[in-house]
Amino acid sequence: METKTIAILFSIVILMLVIEMIRRQKMTFKYSMFWLAACVIVLFAAIYDGLIATIAHFIGFALVSNFVFFTATIFFIMLTLLLTLYVNEQNNRSETLAQAVGILECKIKKLESDLSDQQKQK
Amino acid sequence: MTRAKKILILVPAFNEGRVIGRLVREIRELYPHYPILVINDGSHDDTAKKAEEAGARVITLPYNLGIGGAIQCGYKVAAEEDYDITVQIDGDGQHDPVYLKTVLEPILDDKLDLCIGSRFLSESSGFKSTFMRRIGIRFFSHLLRLLTGIFITDPTSGYRATGKKIIHKFAPHYPIDFPEPEAILIAKLYGARIGEVPVKMRKRLGGISSIRYFKTAYYMIKVTLAILIDMIKKRY
Repeated sequence: METKTIAILFSIVILMLVIEMIRRQKMTFKYSMFWLAACVIVLFAAIYDGLIATIAHFIGFALVSNFVFFTATIFFIMLTLLLTLYVNEQNNRSETLAQAVGILECKIKKLESDLSDQQKQK
Repeated sequence: MTRAKKILILVPAFNEGRVIGRLVREIRELYPHYPILVINDGSHDDTAKKAEEAGARVITLPYNLGIGGAIQCGYKVAAEEDYDITVQIDGDGQHDPVYLKTVLEPILDDKLDLCIGSRFLSESSGFKSTFMRRIGIRFFSHLLRLLTGIFITDPTSGYRATGKKIIHKFAPHYPIDFPEPEAILIAKLYGARIGEVPVKMRKRLGGISSIRYFKTAYYMIKVTLAILIDMIKKRY
């Protein structure tokens, strides 16, 4: 099989996987955007492989494959950075929530005991 | 005429069921007018029940946030309920409540915004510490002096009192794990007047230090980096 065919096949499989995950609501749109865009770009590059060779040579890569690996590495570095940010954001949010829950619970208990004291007095 | 200052005692506690009741009763006996807020940091034991029975108000966090998250929660309550001063005292009984007044006084007299109880200022301190930990504490003293110009002999001490100005800064932004030295720098960046008073510490009644021996190296690297990063952080 030609490498071009393999590349097209893989990008289509991943694209369908992502769409399926969105359909099953396992991935929200916000997070899927990144993957959808990546799939479309890979698909495009696989179909018009002459274009990628032109860009690679223009930038100064002697081997087209080196350019592809380089781009893929940059892509994953950016992705992990982005995910680190998301994890951090979630962390901060859950911490704020935990504190809020603790404070609320304390207030509710106080209110409940005040209320039962009032009822006893009546 | 100025109204009397509202003071809140913050006690962070994680699995201190064996000692927390005794500590709360001890504080109440010495300072019957100050409300005590125990922040139960997701303990697996009966810390909350014991503290409540002893007469403290208890906030239970749904899971363990670490000492910084627990203390921040206390500052949030203090800010929301308009307290003027908070005094933080560890839930393991290591901080003798007798010295609470000493730590509190400079803030009450409006001489300081952040007052730290130091075990190294008093001559006859019975406090024993490991060699490594003493080196660590020394290191942070010098690092903080380099960055802030003030010399704190015991920057890792969690026995401290905080004035209103800093309570409102700490409530939204407080370092999460190993917060003590970092909090000093943050307070300084917010323009707090910071100082120390001598206190004596007791042998831990229970629990384990949040700074465990074998973790000292990690602790030092982490806190050093955090302090340096704080220097370049955007201020709100």
